[in-house]
Amino acid sequence: MKHSANTILTHRGGYGSLPRLVGCLCLAISTTSRADDKRPVNYGRDIRPILASRCFGCHGPGKQDAGLRLDDRQGVLAGGDQGAVIVSGNSRRSELIRRVTSTQPDQRMPAKGKRLSPAEILLLQLWIDQGATGMPQRATTSSAAGHWSFQPIRRPALPDVSHSDWPHNTVDHFVLSKLEQRNILPAAEASRATLIRRLYLDLTGLPPAWSRVLQFVADPRPDAYERLVDELLASPRYGERWGRHWLDLARYADSSGYESDQPRQIWAYRDWVIHALNADMPFDRFVTEQLAGDLLPNATRDQHIATGFQCNAMLDPGVRQEAILDRVNTVGAVFLGLTTGCAQCHAHKTDPLTQREFYQLYAFFNAASITKLPLDDSAQPQSAAPQSANTQAKDDPPPATTLVMQHSPQPTHIFIRGDRTQPGERVSAGFPAFLNRSTLRVSAATASASQTGPPKATPLTRIDLAAWLVSPDNPLTARVTVNRVWQRFFGLGLVETESDFGIQTPEPLHSALLDNLAVELRGDPQSSWRGLKPLHRLIVTSATYRQSSTVRPELADIDPGNRLFARQRRLRLEAELIRDVSLSSAGLLCHSLGGPSVFPTQADGILTNRATPATWTTSSGQDRFRRGMYTWNWRLTPHPHWPLFDAPDGVTACTRRVRSNVPVQALTLLNDPSFVEAAQALAARIVSSSAPSDRERIRLLCHTCLSREPSAAEQQLLQTLITHQRQSFTADPQQARLASGNPTGFTGPVSELATWVVASRVVMNLDEFITRE
Amino acid sequence: MALSSLMAADRPSGTRLTGPLPPKSPHRDARAKSIIFLFQIGGPSQIDLFDPKPELLRRAGEPLPDSILKQISFAQIQEKQPKLMGSPWNFARHGACGADISELLPHTASIVDSLTIVKTLKTDDTNHMFAELMMNTGWRRFGRPSLGSWAVYGLGTESQNLPAFTVLRSGMRPRSKSANYGNGFLPSQYQGTPLRSSGAPLLNLASPAGISDETQRRSVQAISDLNRLRLADTGDPEINARIAAYEIAFRMQSTAPELLDLKQETPSTLAMYGIDNLSTPSFARNCLLARRLVERGVRFVQCFHGDWDHHTGIDNGLPQQCRLTDQASAALIRDLAQRGLLDDTLVVWGGELGRTPVAQKSKKPDVAVGRDHQIEAFTMWFAGGGVKPGQTIGSTNDLGCLPTAESWHVYDLQATLLHALGLDHERLTYRHQGRDFRLTDIHGQVKSELFG
Repeated sequence: MKHSANTILTHRGGYGSLPRLVGCLCLAISTTSRADDKRPVNYGRDIRPILASRCFGCHGPGKQDAGLRLDDRQGVLAGGDQGAVIVSGNSRRSELIRRVTSTQPDQRMPAKGKRLSPAEILLLQLWIDQGATGMPQRATTSSAAGHWSFQPIRRPALPDVSHSDWPHNTVDHFVLSKLEQRNILPAAEASRATLIRRLYLDLTGLPPAWSRVLQFVADPRPDAYERLVDELLASPRYGERWGRHWLDLARYADSSGYESDQPRQIWAYRDWVIHALNADMPFDRFVTEQLAGDLLPNATRDQHIATGFQCNAMLDPGVRQEAILDRVNTVGAVFLGLTTGCAQCHAHKTDPLTQREFYQLYAFFNAASITKLPLDDSAQPQSAAPQSANTQAKDDPPPATTLVMQHSPQPTHIFIRGDRTQPGERVSAGFPAFLNRSTLRVSAATASASQTGPPKATPLTRIDLAAWLVSPDNPLTARVTVNRVWQRFFGLGLVETESDFGIQTPEPLHSALLDNLAVELRGDPQSSWRGLKPLHRLIVTSATYRQSSTVRPELADIDPGNRLFARQRRLRLEAELIRDVSLSSAGLLCHSLGGPSVFPTQADGILTNRATPATWTTSSGQDRFRRGMYTWNWRLTPHPHWPLFDAPDGVTACTRRVRSNVPVQALTLLNDPSFVEAAQALAARIVSSSAPSDRERIRLLCHTCLSREPSAAEQQLLQTLITHQRQSFTADPQQARLASGNPTGFTGPVSELATWVVASRVVMNLDEFITRE
Repeated sequence: MALSSLMAADRPSGTRLTGPLPPKSPHRDARAKSIIFLFQIGGPSQIDLFDPKPELLRRAGEPLPDSILKQISFAQIQEKQPKLMGSPWNFARHGACGADISELLPHTASIVDSLTIVKTLKTDDTNHMFAELMMNTGWRRFGRPSLGSWAVYGLGTESQNLPAFTVLRSGMRPRSKSANYGNGFLPSQYQGTPLRSSGAPLLNLASPAGISDETQRRSVQAISDLNRLRLADTGDPEINARIAAYEIAFRMQSTAPELLDLKQETPSTLAMYGIDNLSTPSFARNCLLARRLVERGVRFVQCFHGDWDHHTGIDNGLPQQCRLTDQASAALIRDLAQRGLLDDTLVVWGGELGRTPVAQKSKKPDVAVGRDHQIEAFTMWFAGGGVKPGQTIGSTNDLGCLPTAESWHVYDLQATLLHALGLDHERLTYRHQGRDFRLTDIHGQVKSELFG
């Protein structure tokens, strides 16, 4: 990987610069005396001032005209779009000198302003002839070397606080100290009823049963809250809730995307994520198995399945490169918090990632292909012969399979300007220099037998990539991960730009808290990573998390975005959870975990206007009522509820969902048959209950849907509605029958059922019903 | 809140109706009440459509001179000496104004006397995703409010019965997706509401079986009242947006079916737009819907259509997109004019960037060449809303890649569009993170020559 400067220059000089030299005009100033001129040129003293004042404006950190950047060693050595700019030791063959001395206006540099003085040109010549030394490394330029997010993670000291009775754990010390510096007190703790619903939604994605709410509210034990947290972290629903968060990053979907949008079977990967999170798999293993499970020694079938993470990329038949680029960019967004995509076409304009380094990351994924792994229990993972795609006969029911990665080495070339039709220099797998402080090489030790060989001949593999991502060298993976976890619990990351920890992102106010959490996840450098559960436990047991979410008008000017976390924040539930809380409150939810994706009710016409036909045979029985995360996802034509409530489209890794709030959502929650069905089912529960009066039934409705008692004003509003509806449905039994959904087996008065359908539907449309308070 | 306010009429009357986004007074006299932005995703080739360059034909195959090469940025072309390519399509002068229009746009050519054509648009980013955001939010990254959101924030809406900022889509989605019509840091009620681009534009407009209009009205009223109680408890402004959404949704149940009932249109109107099948989503159907939306007081309609990104295969690709859009774009202008709506409606046609005079090669033997991205100069057109008809503003050099007249930077365009609505881009601010943000940041100059 390491080339001397001359190697690179010779190589790069091969295209672009040589033909131009033919036309090179000699310059007016004398070059003859130069060979005798032995005075040493100092880059910092003599050269940088010239380049900084005359060149960096167009070829510097802010702007790279012609793809050229002259402010650091990498940039100068890489040259521009038209090739090398200096030939070290030979100023006469250097394009830079030719340009600054050219007499042709369209050639001469600088393009603007007066030409360089003969003295300045001579200094540049001498500098090149003397080897062009002294340039700063990009990784050691002050901005990159000192950038906060690239620094090693150290356990921060716990700040002192005055209100020492407030903190429950370390998180609170960091939050409180920033508040105290501004003379702000934290918000009061939310009520127990709010807390249990908040915990249930955050950790399992489902609302609590009212009996559990009562039990918790009345629980006198001092650790009642922590016990509840542990109970929920142990729930199998936890893996579904946090699994769906991970699937956002993994851009999981059940079809290949693009116009062709072919169906694919990869639900086994989705289930692997759920099980891994439920088992609290150490995070380094969680990463390694998804990136390189197939390359682990004696890889189990589950480890093969885990590599589905990479197979989730969209796939355009015949354009393999796009999927590989997506894998690189996914690693960038998910683990590094860097917008690597920029470096696909040119050196990253702000971050210390060169185009070459981008393609070194690309090389890891280029050395792999996708194959189908049969899920039939009789099949042995090692003997699972890969099936090529599209060999399935159309009429056979497809055997259960899942997509996995397999090693398949092939050469990688830089795509010039990101254009795959223009392969350039060949590169091998490697890591960005700015995050590669020590020599890292584990593949020879850990790769399976087929991978081993003479160490020098073994290229780096995805195992090395995974090891690098979780190595102490690389502080980004832990920081980016814990930041995203914080974002899920508070609606806002400690670093707001959760997918960009690069140079453009300033050190956040709570960088010490970020590191405190990162240490919680990855341990001290010499210890091992933990799973996500201890981190979740730390955060949700903090006093910070338990604060009320009520807006504090007195902080509107000081902290409009709640960046100090002086309260919790109300968060609209994600698309899938809106379905889940509906079905759960209605008593319809099917609690099965995992398995092939299902087809709940959806409107007609969704699948029309597709280039490739698709089917939607509504599932029968309990499969109609599965959690939202199990709904089959055609990328091109998703179930209409998902985009409507901002579920990701699975095109690229989604690190943050937006929370839109538009009238069409209201139309859906009011009128969509699946939500109406839930209201009908809830109404049937209520009228069949033992609650003797409207008042008691209204309480039951609020207990079920909101996990709390209704206020007197709410009681009255709902009572008025119910009284009106009872009158009108009694007067119009036909309407009542329709509104109640013609239930079979219901023996009471239909007008009563219809009345409660209306009341249930109202409560299921409240902002609070679809909000985590 | 009185029950009757849920049934507010959609026409402004003597007494202003309260609603979620009540109309506000502009900063100054407005030239337009509404904007329809026909956003052409991907960057239509101005050189083949609006800005003929005979010099390119004469010099076809010659390299782009170095002097020019170093002044422009490409997105994909890596060739050291990319070759000039003339337009294979014929141009002719049209209308009394004599503007040049390509044979690919016969319908646009027929309305050219209604248009102002600007040839010197300029943007800052060669990447679609960021150029889209630049055009729609004034910022090359995610997170800023969109033009339509700013307009509705500044002016409210005349229609309390339909989303004040409505988004229609055909063909490929914009690459920056909903961020192109998002509210950024503005409150949620200012975001664009997208209608569906497949099947019916809106689902769930009908109340469920057995739920009469009266029951629905009473239910939505109860939801609003209960939400207001929650708002009083929590102070969360999102609940305000939710209440507004439900009240508009309820009104949409009665207004949207009528809005969407294109059978009301005469066969000659449908023929003018080129709509054969009312149930098939298309740019043409969206143009007609756009007219019906502004007719009903909607403030900002944005029709996204893609994809014009003809790096290769421009020989077939460009005519195809023209066939999908030309007739309906022209029909929209005619239709607005014949209904007396054009004076109050500013129509904008254009994309996030333009295309190069040099050819971009294709590596596939069966696919022809195309053109790369160009950000220094590209063309948009404007009509109605006080726009001076029949003028061309700006010009480009002989090769069509650099402006030879004053540039219209995207910020200038945004300042000018807000100006048309009576909004001062320097005064339309929103305080966020301790500072007052504007659509145009610290830039932007109103181009008053656009107006008559």
